[in-house]
Amino acid sequence: MRLLVIEDDPLIARSLEQALTPLGNIVEVFTHHAQAREALQGGQFDLVLLDLGLPDGNGLTLLAELRQRGDTTPVLILTARDGVDDRVEGLDLGADDYLAKPFSLAELEARVRALLRRSQQRVDNRLVFGALTFDAASGVVTLNDRVLDLPRRELCLLEGLMLHAGSITPREALENRLFGYGDVGPNALEVYISRLRKRLDGSGLRIRTFRGLGYRLEEVSS
Amino acid sequence: MIEVEGTLKSRLAIWLLATVSALGVLLLVEAYFSSQHAAERAYDSQLEAAALTIAEAVQWEAGQPVVKIPSAALQILATRHQERVFYAVLDADGQRVSGNLDLDIAPEWRRRASSQPIWMNEAYQGTQWRLYGRELDSAGWETQDPVQIWVGHTMTGREALTEVLFEQAVTRFVIMVLLAGILMLLAMRVALAPLRRLRQQLRRRDADDMRPLDTRVPEEMREMAETLDSLFTRQRQGREALLRFTADASHQLKTPLAGLQTTSELALKRDSPDAWRQALVEVHGSAERTSRLASQLLSMARLRHAVEANATSRIDALALLHETAFDWAQRDAAQAHDIGLAPLPASPQYIQGEVWALRELLGNLIDNALRYTPPGSVITLGAVCHAQTLELYIEDDGPGVSPDVMAHLHHPFERGDRQDTEGSGLGLAIVDSIVRRHEARMQVESAEKGGLRVRLLFPYLTQHEEE
Repeated sequence: MRLLVIEDDPLIARSLEQALTPLGNIVEVFTHHAQAREALQGGQFDLVLLDLGLPDGNGLTLLAELRQRGDTTPVLILTARDGVDDRVEGLDLGADDYLAKPFSLAELEARVRALLRRSQQRVDNRLVFGALTFDAASGVVTLNDRVLDLPRRELCLLEGLMLHAGSITPREALENRLFGYGDVGPNALEVYISRLRKRLDGSGLRIRTFRGLGYRLEEVSS
Repeated sequence: MIEVEGTLKSRLAIWLLATVSALGVLLLVEAYFSSQHAAERAYDSQLEAAALTIAEAVQWEAGQPVVKIPSAALQILATRHQERVFYAVLDADGQRVSGNLDLDIAPEWRRRASSQPIWMNEAYQGTQWRLYGRELDSAGWETQDPVQIWVGHTMTGREALTEVLFEQAVTRFVIMVLLAGILMLLAMRVALAPLRRLRQQLRRRDADDMRPLDTRVPEEMREMAETLDSLFTRQRQGREALLRFTADASHQLKTPLAGLQTTSELALKRDSPDAWRQALVEVHGSAERTSRLASQLLSMARLRHAVEANATSRIDALALLHETAFDWAQRDAAQAHDIGLAPLPASPQYIQGEVWALRELLGNLIDNALRYTPPGSVITLGAVCHAQTLELYIEDDGPGVSPDVMAHLHHPFERGDRQDTEGSGLGLAIVDSIVRRHEARMQVESAEKGGLRVRLLFPYLTQHEEE
């Protein structure tokens, strides 16, 4: 995995490099707009971490150029400005996520992992999270390399959770996925969730409930 | 944006010119007619005098009137304009006794002249004539027959006199207009002098001079001067508040920074990795607190100095609540807590507000709940539709606060008597000012489960505002 970090503050750039390299990544750091543009045109990256306030230009223009070329490399925006407008503009231009400074490295790592997972999935059409894999083409799920035979709705639910693995999947999205847009009882989804939970028991993965918000497939922290 | 639209002088001049020209046309028309009338009267009385002089010259010889026209009569008629003069004396049968031109006096005219003297305008030989005819009871020795005397002349003299009179009137008028114009220019200079004075004073001012104005202005300009003064006052207050706030903020930031400095300095003097580790933990915690303080100070400054009027929009409060809860539930800081959303009312509920401020408001309340409750606490956000207000609430099952502390929780730097947890106490002060900006109310009370429940009561967006 090659990561491109565009950040002009040397302290932050250094800590980003140190934090992301252990994830098995090659991290290249640029401090200027112009250098970063050259690097983006030349090489293939799996993720771009983009600081908006660069000394020689706005990061948003760099992002716009990237997307105009049809380059779909995931972009995570880092900025000290946490104005809503900036966020909306960044996401509108095709950024994949947004993190306001100051941020904790743990949070950054989680977001980077999620984006890389999505990037990977785009490449080989396979969802991987912890011991779980999901092959989107064949619909085969494996847990610890053993095929998990799931009924249709549970499969559907697991795919939904794995698409957003590490972050919350809104409950409305899961309900629509499972039951279509019709009215369903409030507990219908919970039934399938608890069935999946039983299957994942002891696998190092769990499904956490966020009341009224949704569910998150996450790794059980020790 | 200042758009220059003509000058006051030209505006006044145009108005004055328009009224003067309208008035001038009326005055000139009137002057023309009165000049004509005056000339008419002057020349008519000459004709009358001539007729009387001729009448006196009528004598009777053998029952027949005989006229010897005195030269005086003709002199009266002859003006200096070389006019052609006409006279005729007719007897009772209409026979011409004497006369100088063969201008026919129609029987109809004679009949009318017999009752009273008449005036008439008549065309003869291609020119206009003014005629006067009157009947005279001229008594001879034997008979008493009426005699009619007709006199007349061409109109050149009248026209010339009319012209002279009219010219005089026009000259007077033009002189008056010129004088009025000059006076107007002078008056405008005098009247606009206070404006010029004010302008010079404002121009001489330093950029940071916010003292009240010191100038004399007429009553009409008082309002403007007072408005300027109050603008200066507000700017001065704003600047002072900004200075005060900057001082407060730097003071607030200095304390944790001093802690960072001393902790790291001490650690650098030590040799044991354990001591370094301990110091790093402290530095990390302090840095986090400082970051939070900085962003809170920024929100505070933004709230105090926000001048963007009408930045508010129609907001679906429930969607915003959902979005904010979702955002916070994902955050690293919330992982040890159980953040959730109670079932919301089914239909969207609209309020008028600023999105960033409301996000900040809810975020601060969630942040407070996360900080001031032990890990594992249940934090619930929800909404209730009341008749008059929409309630957004956040409640926790933490330790809560005592009732007497609750009352002044929202003063800056108040931390509910708790020194054990980190925080500046700015959070609730920010919350309070956002609540006031939205004309909402905040109630802090004990929750059913023993924790704290913060209720925010927003007025609904009224039908009127929605249009």
